[in-house]
Amino acid sequence: MCQWCEKYADGYPRWYFNPANYARKLYKIRKDEGPEIQPNPIAPGGMALEDRDFIEALDRKDHEAIAKRRHDIEQLAWTVHFGQVVTLEDTLKVIDFIYPIAVMTCACRRSMLGLPDEENFTCMGMGPGMYKWERWPNNYRGGLQFLTPDEAKDAVIKMNKRGLVQTLFTFGTPYIGGICNCDYPDCSAIRTTIDHGVQFLWKGHHVARIDNELCSGCASCIHRCQFKALSFSASQNKAYIDSFQCFGCGLCATECPQEAISLVERASLPALANVW
Amino acid sequence: MLPTITVDHKKCLDPLNCGKCLQICPTHVLGLGTKVGPRKFKEIDKDQFIVAGVRFEKCTGCMDCVSTCPQSAIQVSF
Repeated sequence: MCQWCEKYADGYPRWYFNPANYARKLYKIRKDEGPEIQPNPIAPGGMALEDRDFIEALDRKDHEAIAKRRHDIEQLAWTVHFGQVVTLEDTLKVIDFIYPIAVMTCACRRSMLGLPDEENFTCMGMGPGMYKWERWPNNYRGGLQFLTPDEAKDAVIKMNKRGLVQTLFTFGTPYIGGICNCDYPDCSAIRTTIDHGVQFLWKGHHVARIDNELCSGCASCIHRCQFKALSFSASQNKAYIDSFQCFGCGLCATECPQEAISLVERASLPALANVW
Repeated sequence: MLPTITVDHKKCLDPLNCGKCLQICPTHVLGLGTKVGPRKFKEIDKDQFIVAGVRFEKCTGCMDCVSTCPQSAIQVSF
């Protein structure tokens, strides 16, 4: 079972359907954030916790050093700021009960691509924190724009269509304050998770499965996967999904013209139920 | 093998508006951030922005960043 659901769902079917996890107190209580790590101001998000020493340890395959550093980074991230992949359907459900919601600039793409603010409004913030950005606009580069629930849904649907994965991010776990719309290689969380094995991004509650009877081999889904889970089987002339690598975002399923890809509950597959 | 990447901040004066190296790097090795630590997301002076190597393990040594930099501010060595 998802450990965040175990701790924070409080009777709701998933932890991110529990409205209490969107309602952070307006005053701040500093948590014991575990090991102290000086963040690198050049790297966005969680990647800021991976320094040159860590990259060197990966390079020389120093498994002991890698494991120690990975543990420290993950403990800090899971306390403060980490994400989980959500399907479009679940994202739209979340938008139904959160308020307020605003669109803002993506800090990852600013750092990775140097995107100017006006081309970079792909990040969504929600909950009381948004009033802070509104009240003190200098606190967030590019500012923010409040959206109605319908506008927010439209925006998310458009970004999903573009090929961006919806993820929910905590800001002081379990307080969820952001719907990020991510892609490889410019999302820091996807990169740290996929490239470095540091789990900033948890897999979602679903897994995509292909019905080979229905798959026509058109390959229109292949470019949708941001997690290196989807490839094309030349021998079968069908799309192929590595179930253990699948993050369950559903982007491939929404693109399939044959409706050959469906999302199944991760919990329904014994070997995947604890693969996060 | 990991590269050493140096960016001469005296030559690279406006990375926030230039960003050519960030755009051309085939594996997105370089990062744009600030000299002022965790205030990086705030609306701060553009003079505080700098570029540096971050994801060294993905650098192929193609030197596209070196040749595209209008100020010749980037050096990559292995």
